[in-house]
Amino acid sequence: MREKYLKSAILGALYIGLSHWSPYALAQNADASNLYKRSLAATCANCHGTDGIGVPNAGMPIINNLTSEQMLTQLKAFKSGAREGTIMPQLAKGYSDEQLETIANQLGKK
Amino acid sequence: MDRRHFIGQSAAALGLLAGFSGQARANLQKAEILVIGGGYGGATAAKYLRLFSNNTAKVTLIEPNASFISCPMSNLVVGGSRTLAELTSPYDNLSKRHGINIIQDSVASIDADKKTVKLASGKTLRYDKAVVSPGITLMMDSIEGLVQANKAGVTLQAWKAGAETVALHKQMTSIRDGGTFALSIPEAPYRCPPGPYERACQVANYLKKNKPKSKVLILDANQDVTSKGALFKKVWAEQYSGIIEYLPKHNVTAVDAKTKTIKLEVQDDIKADVLNLLPAMSAGEIAVKTGLANSNGRWVNVNFINFESTAQKDIHVLGDSIQVAPAMPKSGHMANSHAKVAAAAIVAELSGWEINPAPVLTNTCYSFVNEREVVHVASVHQYNAAEKTFKTVPGSGGLSPAPSTLEGVYAWGWAHNIWADSLG
Repeated sequence: MREKYLKSAILGALYIGLSHWSPYALAQNADASNLYKRSLAATCANCHGTDGIGVPNAGMPIINNLTSEQMLTQLKAFKSGAREGTIMPQLAKGYSDEQLETIANQLGKK
Repeated sequence: MDRRHFIGQSAAALGLLAGFSGQARANLQKAEILVIGGGYGGATAAKYLRLFSNNTAKVTLIEPNASFISCPMSNLVVGGSRTLAELTSPYDNLSKRHGINIIQDSVASIDADKKTVKLASGKTLRYDKAVVSPGITLMMDSIEGLVQANKAGVTLQAWKAGAETVALHKQMTSIRDGGTFALSIPEAPYRCPPGPYERACQVANYLKKNKPKSKVLILDANQDVTSKGALFKKVWAEQYSGIIEYLPKHNVTAVDAKTKTIKLEVQDDIKADVLNLLPAMSAGEIAVKTGLANSNGRWVNVNFINFESTAQKDIHVLGDSIQVAPAMPKSGHMANSHAKVAAAAIVAELSGWEINPAPVLTNTCYSFVNEREVVHVASVHQYNAAEKTFKTVPGSGGLSPAPSTLEGVYAWGWAHNIWADSLG
């Protein structure tokens, strides 16, 4: 029994020590990571609307009718040059593939 | 240690944990965030501080004007193809839809030590975080006689969209056929690099149709056209031959309002009928007055990771007022981009999280070469942690190959979307 308690005590101490940082850090990392993703996707909002919801009939192509998968395909096609355009081929080349994936996941039709 | 003790300690740890996390959240919710200036930078910052905090941050926007008038597109008002009303958006969506407290007033002073802001009306507000986005100051004293000439209504700048934009349009329409519209450009950096060249196109477009013997004289203090040079020069040759005359390395030093004479640093005096003289520019007045303009006394140095002033803690500066990173233009689009990075950083900091280590900015700028055809310049700027600055990504960004009406449609699409993104 005594040994068992000792084990618990060690585990408990370890838990207390970690709990100051670890679970909280994990929680904040998830929230922080979500914020970073939102702010990356917000770089599209200037032209395509807040959260990718564009002003209807304003003249700018609407993007929020695309699924994340469709959006990523288009973004990658702009980046590779497979799809022509005016500004988008130039802008898409400024983002990493991972960033384009994040953007597509954030702004694609849910 | 007995079991009860262990449970007690664990509970204490959990309590601490909850308290810790709750404390950070409380900091975000308790903080007074004041946004000074409701342009592309400030309005966007106010809105995104609310969005990124899931509507928990307390945000107050201080802006003297009753509504927002866009500088981008305002050269079309000078040229007469659009009206100022088309470029005007209300501020009230920011309060109605986003819960931002809007105070229509201007800021008289900021006390960065006490963390207070004094309004022109006399009221004092406390802040935990201030976002300062005051645009530019036109350094009228940099051209001798300009203050008097402006007061007399002889020379107009119209570099902040509003009543002067309409007044300049009227001056242009009253020009005699065979008259000269002189437009002077200060040395870079200044607000909106391609703006003066776009304006020259819009004025020339009007004169070509209505006063074809008239001329637009561009007096540029710079060595050459500072933005979209080859595109503008091609347009001037193809569409405005004999109307636009471009004179680089022509630095205006003085103006005589009575005789409408422009004095230059090197060349002979020039007389003109309409004098649209743009003086050198600096950060907005409140930024300079607060001692934030620590780059040559003109622009505000910021830490690019969060746009915090290097001169004062907890004051974040956005838009045209900052000392820019390489290849970063002073534009409305860029100010909107700054605002989102700063808003995310402030929310992270007040929540006790690490600030995004890899923020991204974009810029897009459309210029109308007549009523319908447009050319663009675009860029993507990624944060470089080693050099603590933003850098454009090699191989990205660029220009239009030629003016097009398709980009004219996109330009209006851009305008309506960025107005909605900043104010809607």
